[in-house]
Amino acid sequence: MTSDQTLALEPDQERALQTLMRRYRGRGQSALLPMLHEVQAITGWVDEPTARAVAHTLGIPEIEVHNVLTFYTLFYTEPVGKRVIRVCNDIACVLAGNGELIQRLAEELGVDPETGGTSADSRFTLELHPCLGHCERAPFLMLDEEPMGPVAPDQVPDLLGGVS
Amino acid sequence: MNYEPVLTARIGVVDPACLHDYEAHGGFQALARAVELGPDRTVAQVEAAKLLGRGGAAFPAGIKWRAVHNAEGPKFVVANADESEPGTFKDRILMEKDPYALIEAVILAGYATGAGKGFIYVRGEYPRAYQRLRQAVARCYEAGYLGKDILGSGHEFHLELRRGAGAYICGEETALFESIEGKRGYPRLKPPFPTEAGLFGRPTLINNVESLVSVLPIVLRGPDWFNSIGPANSPGPKLYSLSGRVRKPGLVEAPMGVTLRELIEAHGGGVSGSGEFQAALVGGAAGTFLGPDQLDTPLDFHSLAKMGAALGSGAVIVFDTSVDMMQVLERIAAFFAHESCGKCYPCQLGTMRQRDIIQRMVAGQGRPGDLQLLRDIGQTMRDASICGLGQTASSAILSAFELQLT
Repeated sequence: MTSDQTLALEPDQERALQTLMRRYRGRGQSALLPMLHEVQAITGWVDEPTARAVAHTLGIPEIEVHNVLTFYTLFYTEPVGKRVIRVCNDIACVLAGNGELIQRLAEELGVDPETGGTSADSRFTLELHPCLGHCERAPFLMLDEEPMGPVAPDQVPDLLGGVS
Repeated sequence: MNYEPVLTARIGVVDPACLHDYEAHGGFQALARAVELGPDRTVAQVEAAKLLGRGGAAFPAGIKWRAVHNAEGPKFVVANADESEPGTFKDRILMEKDPYALIEAVILAGYATGAGKGFIYVRGEYPRAYQRLRQAVARCYEAGYLGKDILGSGHEFHLELRRGAGAYICGEETALFESIEGKRGYPRLKPPFPTEAGLFGRPTLINNVESLVSVLPIVLRGPDWFNSIGPANSPGPKLYSLSGRVRKPGLVEAPMGVTLRELIEAHGGGVSGSGEFQAALVGGAAGTFLGPDQLDTPLDFHSLAKMGAALGSGAVIVFDTSVDMMQVLERIAAFFAHESCGKCYPCQLGTMRQRDIIQRMVAGQGRPGDLQLLRDIGQTMRDASICGLGQTASSAILSAFELQLT
């Protein structure tokens, strides 16, 4: 089940979502993942009413939407920060000293370095991620969809400060 | 080393956004050649090349191509671009730097097997690869490489891109089908195999990105050329993802069967950190460790299989003597406990128990018999899990104890 909280969308987000819903109408279950990716690109995460609207738009049972939302880690059923930082926490990045990088990010954002989390101002969510497939650039992170690496802990303030 | 790269020849040379650049560097010549040969003889080339699947399982690609070619009715071609084996980044680089090559290979596979539709399922965490492919697909439609009557062959073929959403299990071929169908990525029981009942229940050719891209030079230069590279039972060029404690980590193209030593010394610039080699993890988290006595092992499917190891995806992560290997094992154990899809119990429970035991060993609270327990759990997962995830979830960890790395 998704969060009790609901999305608070701006009018332009509402409009974009409505346009998206029209485009996906009646396209069936195979369009579910592509649609959820597009929904999330607008909304950041998926709340209960939106999950229901996705089901009705595609013409599939609501449970199918929940099954998928709760299975794939890139879909969110809880609020996330405006920007998501995924730090690779797998073998090559651990060997390259990603611990310091995570520590520094967690300090700046005021979240737990063991688990990650969302900053109090909701600007950032920090996630520790299994191998992101950029081992030649360790330690590596992705700021939303932007790949970055190798990243030194000293670069963290600039990295966070440079984000609108 | 006089080896001239083939699979990566265009990387860093062509503009990945530019179709004309791709065409000017040999692009779409393999497809044109395939259309000259006709579907049946194109499939025969793949068979004669003895191409073994580059995704990890090393299954002979020609068998799949022939089976789907022979199948009746609507069928599909799927490129498995859900690269997520830890330590593996070869397919990402191919897609980011030479996206048209994969697209050409999928079109060629569609023509050879008679499939009218293809999918490329790109890992969710590879947005750049996805964007480059998306743009390239649009160009290919404009240029007539996709759509009706491709290169005057009379064959119609359509290609759709799909993005994964963060699930290691979707690299398993039947879980990937489920994901395209809009479901959780739970693996299916096999048989039936994908060549009989795959995507949407139809005969489906599914190959890894590198396997597909390898078909282009096979068709252009012929299977004899392919067989002249590397060992006879495991031929061809191979991509190795080299990372960890080496001076120059990166993508390496070498003849199949390059030794671990050569890979580290000649391509990786030697061991970094303490400078002294402790071990290498070959094949990613689902792979096996090799120790100092195994540096001269040829990294090909058969040589490694003979010693109970596996080449897998060709990932090679190097560890120098300063690395605490128990910490590495803890990461691997945590990885599988996180990524087990939960469909079958041997894997769901086994990966969690395995993680618990490793964690208590790391905390200095190991118990007598823990190693035997790990072996039992590993055996159960190998024998009773329904897919490769559980079947290989203990292999790296048990191999580390075998080599006494801990």
